Parts: sequence; C-alpha cells; structure tokens
Amino acid sequence: MPMRIVPAGLMTMSLMLCACSHSEGGSASGPPTTGLPSAGEMSAVPMGHVAGLTDSAALARSMPNPYGDDAQAVAAGKALYVKMNCAGCHAYDAKGNMGPDLTDSYWRYGGLPAQIYRSIHDGRAQGMPAWGAALPPREIWKLVAYIESLGGAYSVDGTPRNPQRAELVAPEVQAPSPAAASSP
Amino acid sequence: MNVRGALASSGVLSALSGWSHAETPMSYLHTYGPAGDPITQLGWGLGIVSIAVIVVIAVLLLGGLFHRRSGRVSGGSELAVPREGGGMAWLYAGVGISTVVLIACMGWTLATSAAISRPPTTPALTVQVTASQWWWSLRYTSPDASRTFITANEIHIPVGQPVRFELASLDVIHSFWVPALGGKMDVIPGQTNVTWLQADKPGVYRGQCAVFCGAEHARMALEVIADTPREFRAWQDDQLREPTPSASTTVLQGQRVFQARCAACHSIRGSDAAGILGPDLSHLMSRRTLAAGVLANTPGNLAGWIADPQALKPGAQMPDHLVSGPDLAAVVGYLNTLQ
Amino acid sequence: MRNFARMQSPRKSGLSLAGALLLGLLECGHPSQAADGPAAAATPPVPANNLSGATINFAPNDPAGEWRSQARDYANSRYSPLDQINSGNVAQLRVAWTFSDGTLHGHEAAPLVIGDTMYLVTPFPDMAYALDLTKPGASIKWTFKPNPSPLAIGKACCDAVTRGIAYADGKLIYNLLDDHTVAVDTKTGKEVWRIKMDNVETGATMTMAPLIVGNKVFVGNSGGEMGVQGWIAALDVGTGKELWRAYSTGSDKRVLIGADFKPFYRWMKGEDLGVSSWPAGMWKHGGASVWGWISYDPQTNLIFYGTSNPSPRVPVQRPGYNLWASTIFARDADTGMARWAYQTTPHDEWDYDAVNEDILMDLPIKGRVRKVLVHFDRNAYAYTIDRTTGEVLVAAPFAYLNWSTGFDMTTGRPIVNKDKEPKPGVKIDNLCPPDIGGKDWQPAAASPRSGLVYAGIFNLCMDLTDHEVGYIASTPYDGMEMQRQAAPGGNLGEFMAWNPATGKKMWAIKERFMTMSGALATAGDVVFYGTADGWFRAVDARSGKILWSQKLGSGVIGQPISYLGPDHRQYIAIYSGIGGVATMRVDKSMSGFPAPGGTLYVFSIHGDSVGAQSAEPAAVDDAAAPPANANQGKP
Repeated sequence: MPMRIVPAGLMTMSLMLCACSHSEGGSASGPPTTGLPSAGEMSAVPMGHVAGLTDSAALARSMPNPYGDDAQAVAAGKALYVKMNCAGCHAYDAKGNMGPDLTDSYWRYGGLPAQIYRSIHDGRAQGMPAWGAALPPREIWKLVAYIESLGGAYSVDGTPRNPQRAELVAPEVQAPSPAAASSP
Repeated sequence: MNVRGALASSGVLSALSGWSHAETPMSYLHTYGPAGDPITQLGWGLGIVSIAVIVVIAVLLLGGLFHRRSGRVSGGSELAVPREGGGMAWLYAGVGISTVVLIACMGWTLATSAAISRPPTTPALTVQVTASQWWWSLRYTSPDASRTFITANEIHIPVGQPVRFELASLDVIHSFWVPALGGKMDVIPGQTNVTWLQADKPGVYRGQCAVFCGAEHARMALEVIADTPREFRAWQDDQLREPTPSASTTVLQGQRVFQARCAACHSIRGSDAAGILGPDLSHLMSRRTLAAGVLANTPGNLAGWIADPQALKPGAQMPDHLVSGPDLAAVVGYLNTLQ
Repeated sequence: MRNFARMQSPRKSGLSLAGALLLGLLECGHPSQAADGPAAAATPPVPANNLSGATINFAPNDPAGEWRSQARDYANSRYSPLDQINSGNVAQLRVAWTFSDGTLHGHEAAPLVIGDTMYLVTPFPDMAYALDLTKPGASIKWTFKPNPSPLAIGKACCDAVTRGIAYADGKLIYNLLDDHTVAVDTKTGKEVWRIKMDNVETGATMTMAPLIVGNKVFVGNSGGEMGVQGWIAALDVGTGKELWRAYSTGSDKRVLIGADFKPFYRWMKGEDLGVSSWPAGMWKHGGASVWGWISYDPQTNLIFYGTSNPSPRVPVQRPGYNLWASTIFARDADTGMARWAYQTTPHDEWDYDAVNEDILMDLPIKGRVRKVLVHFDRNAYAYTIDRTTGEVLVAAPFAYLNWSTGFDMTTGRPIVNKDKEPKPGVKIDNLCPPDIGGKDWQPAAASPRSGLVYAGIFNLCMDLTDHEVGYIASTPYDGMEMQRQAAPGGNLGEFMAWNPATGKKMWAIKERFMTMSGALATAGDVVFYGTADGWFRAVDARSGKILWSQKLGSGVIGQPISYLGPDHRQYIAIYSGIGGVATMRVDKSMSGFPAPGGTLYVFSIHGDSVGAQSAEPAAVDDAAAPPANANQGKP
C-alpha cells in the first residue's frame, strides 16, 4: 500500500507543477515563441507604393500579420492603443473622434494588414503621426492585430474579416482582389 | 524587550546570523529602523522562548525516559507503576508557566503589531510608488507643487525620519519589501495600500518585489538609500534641476535619437520627452543600478541594455529597438550627461 | 468717446443744452455711449425697460449697416443697431439668397460686411470669398485659396473649423488651421503677408478669430488637448511682424507679468506662478491655449481674453493651481503686459476652459455703476467681473452643475465637490457639466435696450473615466474617456436671456438639440440663434417668444449678423454647416440630426433683395424686370 502511494503522489505533483508553469502574472508583452519571423523579417514590409499594381504592392497585399489572431498579441495591441495615445484621436472604443473610425470597413489608405501597418509606421497626410521611429515592428504588428480584431479590416485574400459588414460597402471601395494585383 | 533591544543593537544577533548587512542585503534578521526593529526583536525573542521551551521539554522528557525507579515497596504488595503523589504539581506548574509565557508572547506580538502599524511621528515625506511589470515608478510629493517630481527604482529617504509610501499597481499584484527596514506590503491593483519605513542608519538597503508577478518577478528589485537630511535635500534639489543643454554634436544627435525612438515611453524633465510608460530618466546617471536593480549602472551595461533588453530581461516591456551602432553610441553619450 | 454729459458751468448751460439736444438728435439712430467714468454727472438716460441698467461702449462705432468684425465691436456686444426688422415684422423673413462655399467641416464663423462687399471664410481649407452685394444673388468677386497643410486636420480636436476673420486697412486678416496668420487684400483677393505662428507638428493649430485694434491684430493658438504651449500675440497689421507674445505658462517673463500686474485674489499673487503651480517641468506642456474671443476697452487700452484648460486633462498628474490655465487675462494692448488675471477654475479637473467671450459693459451693481465684463464660463458659472481689477461681483450658475457646491465670494473661488474629482481608472457617473461646459465658445449677444445678455447654452452631463497619459509630441495629451448625455430635463440645449446685474435667468427656450450658434441682438428687439439640427429662430428679446423659425440645410453653429445692403434693406445672414463638438454621439443617434453642409443663408423681409423681388405685393411697380441696383424704396 505505501509503495503505490509514492508513484501516485509523484504523478500528482508533476501534474501540479505543469499547471503552475503558466505564468501567473499574465505576461502580456511576451511574443509567441514559435512560428514568428525574426525581428529583421518582421520589419521587411515593402515600403514601395502600396496603392499601385507593382510587384512590391502585390507582396504587401499578400503579407499577413505575423501574429495572426494570437490573443496575447491582441491584448498587447489594445494596451498599446491606449498607452500610445491612439485612443486620444480614435476614441477609447476606436469609433473615431479626431481620427477616423477604426471599426468600420471604410479604409482611406487600405484595410489589409500591411496597409494598416504602413499607415501606422509612416503616418498619413491628414495628421496621423508616424510611429516607425518610436515603435519597433513587433509593437506595430501587435497594434495591427488589435485593429484587425475590431472587425472592420480585410484579410490578405481581400475578403473582409467580418462578412456581415461587407454587404454595406460598395465593391469598388473594398480591398482589390488578388487576381487584379497579381498581374505582372 | 529592553534586553532584547540591547542584544539586537549590540550586534550579537548579527554575529549570530553570521554575515554583515552588506554581504546579505536581503537578510531580515537584522533591521535598521522602527518599522522593522520590533518585528526582528519579536522574532528573536520568540525564537529564544521556543528554544528554551524545547530545551526544557527535552530535559524533562529525557529525564522521564531515563529516570530510575527507586524500587521501594510498601506494605507487602508490589505495584508495577509506583504511585507517586504530587503529580498534579507538575501539571499546575507546566500549564501555569505555559499560560503565562504564551500570554506574554501574545502581548508582545500585539504590542509589536501596534508599534509597526503607525510611525512614531507623522511622516513629513510621502512617496507614491507605482509598481508595474517589472519596475517601480516613484513620485515624490510635496505641499509645494513645483517640488513634485518623478523618478524610478531608487528611493532616497532622509535618515531618522519616517517616510510614508502609497502603493499602487498598474497591472498585477506586486509586493513592496525592503527586508532590512520593514515587512512586506502587497501592492494590489485597484486600491492604494499605505505603509511606512524609517532608516536609522545611512546606507543602501535593497528591496525586492515579494509576490510572484510574472516572468521577470525575480528581477524586480529596488534600492532604498538613506541619506543624511542635508544629503537628502541636495538629492531632491538635484532631481528637480533640469539638465543643462550641451553643445556637443554627438550629445545633440543622441538627444534627437532619444526624442524620436525613446520619448514615447520615457521622460527627461526639461525636454520634450515626457512619456510615462517607462522609468523616468531625468537623472539616470545618479542611480546605482539599471533595469530595476538588474544591472550595475555602467556605460557598458547601459549600452547593452538599450541594444538588447530582451536578452538581459526577457519579457520586459522595453522592446528591442534595433538601434544602429552610431545611434546607440549617440544615445548612450546623451544619457551619460544626465547626472 | 463722447463727453457730452459734462454740464457743469451754469453760464454755458443754455448752449450746452442746445448742444446736447442736437447731439441727441444725431444719436437717434445710434444707441447711447457709455459715460466716461463713474463721476459723470449725467449718464445718457437708460431706458426704463432696461432690466439691468447696462450701458455698452460700441467703439469703434462702425457704420450701423456694416458688420466689420466678428463681434461687431470691441466690447463684443454682437448687437446690431438696425431696426427695420423688428418683432412686428420678423415673421415675414424669407430667404433672400444663399451661397454654398464648397466645404463640409463645421461652419463656426460669421461673414463680414464692409461697404457693399461681404467677406466670408470657410472651414478647412480656409478659403476666403468676397461677394458683391450690389449684384443680384451676390456673385463672387474673388476667391482666395491659401492651401493650408492637411496635417492640421488631424491635430484639431474639435473639427477643422475657423471662427472668423478680421478687417482693417483694406486687408482681411485671419488664421489658417496650420498655424499661419494670413492677410488678404480686400480689393484683389491676393495675399499680402503670411506669418507662421506655431508648429503644427507639435499638435498646435489656430482656429480663433483675430481681433484688430488700431494697427495691431491679436491672435492665439489652439491645442489644449495636445499639450501645446498656449500663447497670445500681437502682429502689425501692415506687415504681420510680431510685436509681442505672451505665453500662458512659464516664468513671469514668458507670461509678460511685471510690476503692473495686480491680481485681485490671493492665489494669483506671487512670483513665477506659471512655473511653481505645476510639478517640476510640467508647465512646458501645460496647454492653456488662446482659442476663444478677445475684447478691448479703449478707455483703459486693455484687451480681455481667456486661456484653455491645463494639460494633460488628467488632474492627478499635475497637482497645483496650474496657472495660468483656465484664466481670464487683462493685458495692455500695446505691450502685452498683464494687468490682472482671474482663474475661473483653479486646478481645473474637468476641461473647463476660460476662453468664452468677455462682454464689456457698464452695470449698476448695489447702487454703483461698475465697469464690468460678463462671462459665461464653461464651468457653468456666469460671472460679472470688475474689468478694472478682476474682482468677481456676481457668480451665479446658468446651467445645471454638480462639480461645485457653490461659490465663495470671499475667496473668489468655486467650492469643489469632492465626489466629482476624477481619479484614474474610476468611473464617475453624471458629472455636470461635461468638458464642453454649460456653454462653449458660441458667443452671447447683449442688448443695451433690454439690458440683457442672450446666449445659447447646454444642458449636459458626462460619465467620465480618467486614464493617466504620457506626453507624446503631436498626439493628444488627454486621458478623458467620456460619454456625454442630457442633464435633467432631457433637452440638450437652451437659449436664454440673462440679467448680468442680478445673475438671474429671465427666460429660457429649451431645445431638443444643442444650441451651439452665436446669438445676435438687434435694435428691433429681436434676437436670433440657431440649433444643431438646423433651425434658425427669431425671438422676442423681452418675452422670449419665438416669432419665426426656418429650417436650414444643415445644423447651425455659426454666428448670425445683420447688415444693410446697397438697397438699404436690412438683412440677416447665418451659415449652416454642422460640425465642431456639436457632432457628439448622443446628438448623432437622435433622429433629426442633420448631415454636414456649407451654405450661407441671407434673409430679408419677404426675401426681397437687390435685383430680386418677392411674389408678395410691394409698394412699387412689378411689371418690368427690376434693374440691377434697384432701390426698392423700403424705409
């Protein structure tokens, strides 16, 4: 009887230790450790004309957010959205004030992940500041992940992330289809 | 308690604990102020009482084990267990002494609690401590608004005076603990806990976050430096002073790089950098450590930290900025001017 | 400035009497001037039905049929001496002509009429138009396109607006959103000079209407939400050269505070308070911009204006009084040196700017005539302040408020309600008024006939949660997360008549939507205002009865004016074009909220105008097509 207690006890303890290994504090800043391009690769968003039909534009259109739907990245992006004063212009619920609504499916400068990245990185003509110096690529992608989670953005294949919204937007206003972009 | 106080201050106890404060800065067996002394004394006192009790009981037990029976027989019958009169005396004595000692210990404990719950005099200085993962933001308040300023990780207090700490957290539960000065006080998001410390001897007292708060909990240290009142005033004035502008092109280049890359999170009084997400750097070179006690504050460590913070403190909120060589040298050169 | 009231020598009394009668006749069409100083023996008689005894100095006494500055005069009365349109006939007002200016941001300005030309400025892109009022339909004489930087659009907290233009010396002078002040030749529409006054990259913009006095134009910046350094400056009208600039925070030297500075109340007395009333270094991003109205007293040569809220909008980050934010200043117009200051909301915790207009008048208070300014503050107190000393004579709530439990006249400060002091992360429900106040920049008008002041005000509250913020240049230094809603009563707006001597509301008209337009008072005893959902109304100045309403193409947040056309007919002009902070979520969700627009409406009796006659019978021939400059013969 005592001999059987020992392995059972060891198993229980090891199971408990496994459970404890999840960080208690919810480290919201650590990036997912697998499947992520290096920091150098993450900064390789094509900086050419996103609006045109050049090869680099096609590349930009096809570049997904390396964080995908990762919940930690979205949470980190949401924290950054407040900390970097994005909420000051775009409102705390992202429905816009001085700056445009980020939850709807109308995008002045494009709603694909790389296009949103470029808007944040480069700034835009009507007062959007340029964050490329202050925020490294990882942090900008986290912001993009948060914005994408709000439902108005588009996936790299040109389809809206929230199909319900797409019905309200005229086809020519949506992100152009990949067929049009991939012509050499 | 006077005896024990005498014992504590005579260094006997530190001798007993075997090491000096400098060698074991996190030791709580020897404290240096009225926020911690009563606890230390109580600890040693109860320890001595417990040891005495153990000794007494061990002696009695051993005595009982090895006690030779006298073998006397009375009146023809031989009892296996001699009935000795007066056993109740042992009981009365034992219970009586235990009760008295326990009540005394309880009284001492309550008195200790009372002693540490409130500072002996009203604190003249209040420091607002805001803990976040994994560093300490400090705001020194003052009735004169213009003498209110922000710094980080290194707390200066005047010697011999109680200092009030208001503790707040921006994210998860931390705990504020400077073992050589006092006990732990949890820092809980959504409320402000208040504690106080007093250092009776000038020196450097190391502190630590004492509740597991995430990946870098072990690297969330702080230092409390007790200065003489004049030194403290000088330190305060120095912190309030705005850094003198430099004429050096490298330094100006470094300031430009800092403003573009670092100012969103960090602040330097007197410049356009007023971010609140990372530690205030206004007088970075006056601090002994970097990254909340992780690194000694040397130019090499500073450059290494800026170049790759994730290597030194993985998971820290400060991201890898991929700063180029020349930019890094310029920024370090600029930061070196922030005395 | 007239001294006709000094009739001291008995020997000259006969001549003086005759002279006074003659002057009195000349004065027929003009309202009386304020007497010179309290010692004047015979102030022009105040009409018996002047409920407050107020008299107004209408310097610079522009021609009655013209409107040469946004506020009409230095005192900011916004009172037109014309009375062709009066309470008897205002119900016959019809649209005479309209003008679409091609822009869709909020239209907050008023046109100017100088001679036979009307001058307009649009919101971004800040174009200027000159319209020839002698032509039927008022055709465009010239258009000026300054092409300001669109970067400014994203830095303007409250829409890409401008609140108007100033005129002097053959030049139109106004501010572009991107921090330039520009002067345009009124004959040709060509640029005369353009001066850069601030850096739009830091978040500063310029939206206010300049004030011109003599050879100086006074301008200030916007950006209290962006952590800018607020300032007011005087430029030379001829060249645009900067004559002086007074910042709103910083050392006394920066704020132009010197030996002449005599604030009335204790907390404003001291040295370098613009530094020491802030935590170390925080005055540098202290806000306190100058985006509102400026008035001027020619007798004392002082200008009066207010500064915006302190930055950041989260008060726990900046303990101290935060001088000189939320402060009314009196400054010498020539040197800019401050004479006195009064901080309406010390250590402002709710974004209660002090930028609203200061209407100058002479008012009998407790038996003595005082030289005062009347100021409806964002904090919902209406102030009557002695404009020579900065002493508060009357402070009474004009809108619903709960941030303060009362006003302490001995200390000169509102008493703060501790429950309504925001702490980061803690939501406060129903804090009244909200950041935009009991009244915002929309200016009031004063009538020397009724003695009352007329203003569109708000009936609003907010749910507020503060968040600590860092200063990141060119982003908001803000931190107020809020939701605005109606205060008790359910109406968002109200148009009221106020007695500045007693601090009492005489009548009020509740409006479902916000009343964010300026007010216009006229000698015809009619006052005009507009609502956010697009109704433009004429109201009896004495009873508050609505006499006429017209629905315009978009919401009304502009300032109405009145003028005489070349046909000697009285017109009322008002812009329609919703925008500004009137586009709040609560407004937008209510049915009836309008779409944007950008049209100027000009009204006259029967809609008659130069070259166009109404269908209703008039006293002249209607058979032939009317000649271009026909004088329609209206009295």
